[in-house]
Amino acid sequence: MATGPPPSAAKLYRPNRFVSLPAELDPDTYDSSPEKRRAEAERLAIRSRLKRQYQLQLNNPSRPAIIEDPALLRWVYAKSMNVYPTFRPTPRTSFLGAAYALGPLLFWIFVLKADRDRKEKRIQEGKYKRPFSVF
Amino acid sequence: SEMSKDMMPGPYPRTPEERAAAAKKYNMRVEDYQPYPDDGFGYGDYPMLPDKSQYERDAWYQWDQPDMRHNWGEPMHWNFDMYIRNRVDTSPTVVPWHTMSKHFLIFLSTMLIMFGLGAIYPSYRPVGPKQYPFNDLYLEKGGDPNKEPPAVIHYEI
Repeated sequence: MATGPPPSAAKLYRPNRFVSLPAELDPDTYDSSPEKRRAEAERLAIRSRLKRQYQLQLNNPSRPAIIEDPALLRWVYAKSMNVYPTFRPTPRTSFLGAAYALGPLLFWIFVLKADRDRKEKRIQEGKYKRPFSVF
Repeated sequence: SEMSKDMMPGPYPRTPEERAAAAKKYNMRVEDYQPYPDDGFGYGDYPMLPDKSQYERDAWYQWDQPDMRHNWGEPMHWNFDMYIRNRVDTSPTVVPWHTMSKHFLIFLSTMLIMFGLGAIYPSYRPVGPKQYPFNDLYLEKGGDPNKEPPAVIHYEI
């Protein structure tokens, strides 16, 4: 029984969250179909329109003191003020909230309490030598 | 700032018209625009861009902000401040990640196991007590020079 064709170089590379696929192994670089070219042309049109807007403001003789970037403002708004309105308590978010907020708190409560109890027991039994410290 | 409410990010888009409006708002193509899944995590309608750091962008293109390799008005990644060039870098590596991690873990685990075994079962060359000359340093240790020093023999035949 013959095995199938050998795995492609892209499959052997196995890109993950930390590294992305090199452009040479990505089959998308070698695909020059009309759809892709039309998509690239549309993206270029959007990019050049934005660049034109920016350059007009930049080279304006009476340039404003700060050229606001709407993308930056939207990013800041999305990360700070848009989180609470769009948040929804689902099982996953509730579990993660409990794990990240209550988990460390309860963990350290129990660890420190157990440590203190053990030290107290040793002091009561007389086995603990108190450290001498000027501070 | 003087941007209106509909220029700012909003809730998750449900209808195709909302998607088209959101894509236009973020200066993206409608086909490119892909919001984060509506899991209630607080993303809203912010687009999900590929997780690539700014290092992967072309170094020789004339960006509007060359140090951040970002153009004016271009939608920024949700974790943009993580992907700047001073921080996380997802550039493709010469060696695949799984190969690198495998080599590193094999080396690290081998060294740790050897160190652990060496700590539990130490082994040294055999040693004996130190032997001093001149009858065990009889005069240096304050022995009487007139008396005969005791003979010290360090070997057995």
